[in-house]
Amino acid sequence: MITPPEISWIAIAPDLAMAIGAALVLLVDVQWKPAPRVLGWVVGATLAVAAGLTVVQWAGAADALAAGDTGSLVAFSGLITMDGFAIFSRFVLIAATGLGLTAGWRFVASLGRRGAEAIALVLLATTGFSLMVASNNLVMLFLGLEVGSIALYVLAGLARERRESEEAAIKYFLLGSFASAVFVYGVALIYAGTGQFGILGIRQLLAGFVISSPAVIYIGIGLVVAGLGFKVSAAPFHTWAPDVYQGAPAGLVGYLAAVAKVAGFAAIARILLTAFSDLADTWLPVVAGISVLSMVLGSVLALVQGDVRRLLAYSGVAHAGFIMTGVVGGATDGILFYLAIYAIQLVGAFAVVAVVSGPDGAGSSLEQYRGLGRRSPLLAGAFTILLLGMGGLPVTSGFVAKFGVFTDAWARGYEWLVIVAVIASVVAFAFYIRVIVVMYMDDAGEEEPLRVGPERWVLALAVGATILWGIFPSSLLDLAADALPI
Amino acid sequence: MLTSLVLLPVAAAIVVMLIPGRRKEIHLPLSIALSVMPLALAGYLFWVFEPAAGFQYVDRVPWYEPWGIDWYLGVDGISLPMIVLTTLLVPIALAASTTITNRTKEFVIYTLLLEAGMIGAFLALDLFLFFVFFEAMLIPMYFIIGIWGTERRVYAAVKFFIYTAFGSALMLAAIIGLALTYASQEGSASFALSDLAGLDLAVGTERIFFAAFAIAFAIKVPLFPFHTWLPDAHVEAPTAGSVLLAAVLLKLGTYGLLRFNLALFPDASVDAIPIMAILAVIGIIYGAVVAIVQPDLKKLVAYSSVSHLGFIVLGTFALTSGGLQGAVIQNVNHGLTTGALFLLVGMIYDRRHTKKISDFGGLQKTVPLLAGFFLFMTFASIGLPGLNGFVGEFLVLIGSYPALPSLTVIAAFGVVLAAIYLLWAYERVFTGVPDKEENSVLSDLSGREIALLVPIAVLIVVIGLYPKLLLDKITPSTEAVLDNIVEQTDFTIPEPGRIGDVFVAGGE
Repeated sequence: MITPPEISWIAIAPDLAMAIGAALVLLVDVQWKPAPRVLGWVVGATLAVAAGLTVVQWAGAADALAAGDTGSLVAFSGLITMDGFAIFSRFVLIAATGLGLTAGWRFVASLGRRGAEAIALVLLATTGFSLMVASNNLVMLFLGLEVGSIALYVLAGLARERRESEEAAIKYFLLGSFASAVFVYGVALIYAGTGQFGILGIRQLLAGFVISSPAVIYIGIGLVVAGLGFKVSAAPFHTWAPDVYQGAPAGLVGYLAAVAKVAGFAAIARILLTAFSDLADTWLPVVAGISVLSMVLGSVLALVQGDVRRLLAYSGVAHAGFIMTGVVGGATDGILFYLAIYAIQLVGAFAVVAVVSGPDGAGSSLEQYRGLGRRSPLLAGAFTILLLGMGGLPVTSGFVAKFGVFTDAWARGYEWLVIVAVIASVVAFAFYIRVIVVMYMDDAGEEEPLRVGPERWVLALAVGATILWGIFPSSLLDLAADALPI
Repeated sequence: MLTSLVLLPVAAAIVVMLIPGRRKEIHLPLSIALSVMPLALAGYLFWVFEPAAGFQYVDRVPWYEPWGIDWYLGVDGISLPMIVLTTLLVPIALAASTTITNRTKEFVIYTLLLEAGMIGAFLALDLFLFFVFFEAMLIPMYFIIGIWGTERRVYAAVKFFIYTAFGSALMLAAIIGLALTYASQEGSASFALSDLAGLDLAVGTERIFFAAFAIAFAIKVPLFPFHTWLPDAHVEAPTAGSVLLAAVLLKLGTYGLLRFNLALFPDASVDAIPIMAILAVIGIIYGAVVAIVQPDLKKLVAYSSVSHLGFIVLGTFALTSGGLQGAVIQNVNHGLTTGALFLLVGMIYDRRHTKKISDFGGLQKTVPLLAGFFLFMTFASIGLPGLNGFVGEFLVLIGSYPALPSLTVIAAFGVVLAAIYLLWAYERVFTGVPDKEENSVLSDLSGREIALLVPIAVLIVVIGLYPKLLLDKITPSTEAVLDNIVEQTDFTIPEPGRIGDVFVAGGE
């Protein structure tokens, strides 16, 4: 007889809440055909409940750690964990979802009856990624990854009246499924080499035994990193990003990009830093190589973009490289802090794009930003601060984030990587500055100021976070420092 | 007290921000009034500052303890004059900006934030904090050049930004490296200058770190061959931008070399003397020669900066009492005279809307007061005895001679060349008969403009006649820099390079 694993409700409570919320949105929509505002309340309540349950988990995790009892943080026979790392990442995901939906609300509302679909898909995607960051097992991780990714493919194609949106969805789907396949193959090879799916199991095995023929494991790690590298748009797996960012509905791109990056990097960090920490000598050069390639390609290609969304996509590639330096550095707090900061800034930046491009998100060429500083000073000011924050200017949180990961990488003996990274940061400044030049230093014709809807709340929060955590980073840094994986 | 000095301009900026944009007429007067407060505080600080080595009025609060970052401010004889200079020139630069009618509010806010950044950078004793200020002030300056500049402003602004950001990126890497070396040697994290200065670094590492810092500051100074951004930035910037850029921002480079390079990397500094001194002398001569042939008055003053700042670097790396004192004094002098020259060029430009020397001639007749002030500033810049420039250049040259005799002799020609380019420019612009009609109908300086120039002129005379006022405050700190180098390296200060060897500064 098979004994079913003991069910630990609290371990999956936030995910469950979001899944139920998604179903609820669809049911309410079918039953009452309410105004979008009502669905907004439902989704808001869902996210609030999920966040609240995550806080409960946090308290439990802190108690368990204080008692030295990490075993109780693992549930479902080791499939799921409730460690600080998972909880912190989940918080970031929920925050990005809330902000992302607010930023894209005008688009969602404009979809009419299909709006409920969009909301449900967003909630499902977050559920999947939230499971992914909490999974302690490669198969579980893959399940979360697929749930999240498939929802994102559909979201990218939601504005199906526009050809670019369809193209984005198809491209994202085809390349994304290929990446998932690569990931699964990597998992299979790791299993072949170690006989384990569990992250902790792999770590114990590698710590206790010398693997006589580790080549299979090495290839497996390489494929897993490649598959996840696709999700976080690290070079050379980034080719989908510009087209998807350009084609997907403007309001939702920020969400789509942010959650994929957070979940992808959380998974990379957990797999490499926990499961394969003993093989670091093998994967460090590879990850450092990906990091350099991403930083250089991303920054240089962003310089020549004439479209703000493509520019942000390439800057995202560069950011993937910067976060990779944190993986090289091997400290999870630097990575988590960076992810939290970047996710918020990214959603904020795309909220601006959504305002400028309009709800359905037609064009976003740099030309449309000409003279924005005069047309809508507040919007342009917010965008400037967010761009400078992404660039990593001191006094913004982006600088603290960069500083953290660079310091970790230097301490690990990768001085050259840090030097490449700081130079790439300067190149990155050059293209952020380009946008600012267009907004402020060229005069616009007499144009009406843009109408800013609920995006204003997203912008206020994102700008506030960028500056406050730039000046007083300790509140978030302390949390990130506590959020260790088991 | 120092914290409030940094925060006062920020507070002023916030106050201005709260005034509605349509009340255009009060933004500028209000900001001038507000920016007098930091000046008053800085003046008080100068008054109560005890001439002694070491940092005074230290404010130290942990910022993020696990990384060892502190909000750590302190003032010594090297930074004190710079603080006073900064706080003095900001109100003057603002008051000189009445011609800016477009987006005054933003302009004022950027200028005040720039002031906060500059003060912070001069006071910071924590390398992380210093870097934050050093980098953060780029943005306001970038906007000031890019929005209110002349035709090629965007190009100049971007060039300025990228050059400086590149330099500071390397410095950031070096700061990270230093802090981690400290952490591995001492077991605790710190970015404090005093902690990091005591590190034992391998020779190679120390030289690399020195180079990273030196390049960042050399771009800022700017030292030949990193100077190419400067003429563009100066020429395109509005008057206030040029004044603050020349008078204060460039000084961060020379200040940084003196404060950070000499203190953090004494061995590498001693080894780098020939390189830095030769670059400085090339800058002195090259800047002067290029200035002679400039057709544009503003560009001429810009290149004269390259030449004058060469003296400061030469004095710094001579590593003698006179050299260092001269460097600090010359920091102030150049800020005053070049700041004033840029103001004057701006005033001429406001009247004639051209900066080309060939468009002028005989202005003396129509605007005698302006001509008089210009001649006065020219004399100060050339180093006429009795004015401030003489004190600074004399100290630098007399201080450098024992250490680097041949280079000092070459550098001395820079003084002669300065006389050529400035007096020749004066001759072409102001003397003769006004043969162009537009030049004969100009109005002379207004009361406001005179009020801007008089404080600078008074300081120039005071420093020129009674340098003890400044030297007393400076000397203990510069001597401490030398003592530190003697202590940490086997370098011997060339005789007669120390105070008391040859002449007694400060009139003891």
